[in-house]
Amino acid sequence: MPEISTAPGPEHSAARFLIRQRSLATPAVLFAILLVISAFHGPHLFTSDGLAGAVIGAAPLVLATLAITIIAVAGPAGVDLSVGPAMTFINIGIVLGLPVLGLSSPLAVFAFAILLGVLLQAAMGTLIAVLRVSTVVVTLAVYLVLDGLNTVILPQPGGTAPDWLANWGSSSSILSPILYVPLAAFVLWTLIACTTFFRNVRLMGANDRTAFVSGVKLIPIRIGAHVICGVFVGIASVMYTGLIGSADPTAGAPYTLSAVTALVIGGASLAGGRARGLGSVLGAIDIWLISYVLSTFNFGLNASYWVQFATGAVLVVALVTGGVLSGLSGTGRWRGAGVTPS
Amino acid sequence: MSMAGSADPRVSARRPTLWASIVEHWSTGMACAVLVALIAFGAATIDGFWSLLNLRSNLVFASFLGIATIGQTLCALIGGLDLSIPFVLGAANVGLVKLMNEGVPSGLGIVIVLVLGGLIGAFNGALSQRLREQSLVVTLGVGNAVLGLVQILVSSSGVSGISGGTIEGKIPKWIEGFSSFNHAIGIAPAVILWVALIVLTILLLRRTWLGRSLYALGGNPTAAERVKVSSRWTWTLVFGASGVTAALTGILLLGYTGSGYAGVGDPYLFTTIAAVLIGGTSLVGGRGGYGLSVLGVLILTVLQTILSGYSLSQAAQEAILGALIIPTVALYARSPHPRMLI
Repeated sequence: MPEISTAPGPEHSAARFLIRQRSLATPAVLFAILLVISAFHGPHLFTSDGLAGAVIGAAPLVLATLAITIIAVAGPAGVDLSVGPAMTFINIGIVLGLPVLGLSSPLAVFAFAILLGVLLQAAMGTLIAVLRVSTVVVTLAVYLVLDGLNTVILPQPGGTAPDWLANWGSSSSILSPILYVPLAAFVLWTLIACTTFFRNVRLMGANDRTAFVSGVKLIPIRIGAHVICGVFVGIASVMYTGLIGSADPTAGAPYTLSAVTALVIGGASLAGGRARGLGSVLGAIDIWLISYVLSTFNFGLNASYWVQFATGAVLVVALVTGGVLSGLSGTGRWRGAGVTPS
Repeated sequence: MSMAGSADPRVSARRPTLWASIVEHWSTGMACAVLVALIAFGAATIDGFWSLLNLRSNLVFASFLGIATIGQTLCALIGGLDLSIPFVLGAANVGLVKLMNEGVPSGLGIVIVLVLGGLIGAFNGALSQRLREQSLVVTLGVGNAVLGLVQILVSSSGVSGISGGTIEGKIPKWIEGFSSFNHAIGIAPAVILWVALIVLTILLLRRTWLGRSLYALGGNPTAAERVKVSSRWTWTLVFGASGVTAALTGILLLGYTGSGYAGVGDPYLFTTIAAVLIGGTSLVGGRGGYGLSVLGVLILTVLQTILSGYSLSQAAQEAILGALIIPTVALYARSPHPRMLI
């Protein structure tokens, strides 16, 4: 995989830089197109209210996508299907569980959400790394368990989030926590991406055999990747709770599909080793913008069908253009490196 | 953990020692044992478990799941995953009602729906193969696009349109009778169709060149290409077949419920995968078969009867199903350690 090497070499020219950024081409072009359409068809987006609504509306998906990005990097076939029900589970915990303990301060909510996210992900990471069952199978099973449990615990939507958090959903200014929290999360991601640990995750995702013979300890690295994922799942759950202001047992599950779509639009390779935080953020914003743009047309009762169609179609188009851009659309050429079981 | 513990038939088939043959039939034996235990448990603790009505209705449910699982099994054998099954199933379900409402004869309508299902599947396969076999995201995208589009088309014209995902129409008596367990011949024709398809699929997999090439491709794609197995054609054919069986299940479900509903396929996303996994076909490819998936389907059906017998909610059943997947897969579908692959 060409992108493993991050050491600056003599080939570090402007052209080389652009080639390196090509994975951002699809989400960036899509972003620009959607912004232009919004400018003509839904200028409300560019008001103070509209922007605040956009930020809090997109924030849970942005963070969820960022969370599963490191799982995609850790590969192979690193798709975390559990993220939607996991966010719902933590959402129910924040709204129904924390008040029982008499806690509602921001510190308690964030600590609780992140702890729960980390515990869930660490458990999954341990199963994947130690039992060597594939990521898709484990996260699929956890999807089912949590999705079922959520409805068992809370059959109907209900409860109210702590006041300070519930106010986020109706915020009319972006100069508030709804912007600061995602920004801080992105800074955290960028810092993590600079570490040796992260390079080991990339090496493991690109080729676990090479990583193994290079002395990378696969089990702790994989569990570590899941712990990082858990941190972001926790933050995503707090933003999600702020967005809906209550607890809902089923509304979070679709985040799985949206986040995987955003991840792929953002240029991640599910074969492992290649995914970028910035791409994922752009991809998630694109997904939110698609539904915003579609909501400005008068589709009436058909609106949800159009969103479903557009999301699916954009995913397919992103896959096709992504495959062409990265020049990897050959027949199983990389299979030995990427798609082998682990 | 010995070498044989990684259960690689490519190795064990050459020297059939006692241990190797135990390993080879391990999953079949486990699945049979689980099925027998579940039936015994159900018969001992639930009144009316053996009643004729219960058996007949269970067989109908099993045949729906079983037919949809044919496609998922074939895809799993070549190392793919078809997540478009529930969407194609739902699209076929509402699409056929719409066609018949527009005056298309029911027989012709069924042929059209099956052919379209096959074409969608073939597109899935061809694209997945080209994109380095990332079938999970390809089928997710195509599935959503198809179901969204079909709902837009179905709803766009007038009186006989769709509302809330449901579409009413006159379903011919023979289609309703086909899935009815009160059919005059004593058993639902759908069950007979399933049995015929079981025989056909198993013969196809065991006795034909195409069937063996699925195993070759799933086991070792490079070696398969050396013996002139076309990866592209096989993927296209296999996913095409999956599209046809999904559409067929959609039609059978239409006969059972009596009205079109776009979300009718939702449970089949995870139950088809669960049936494949519980039977013992590995998602990595090359190992397993449809006979095993039939066992998986029967296990799931009996399990659901038992859980309903204990009046557990749908959500609780989902959670238990999820919790069963990881130990099942850990028993007989683990990946080898990278150390074994060097």
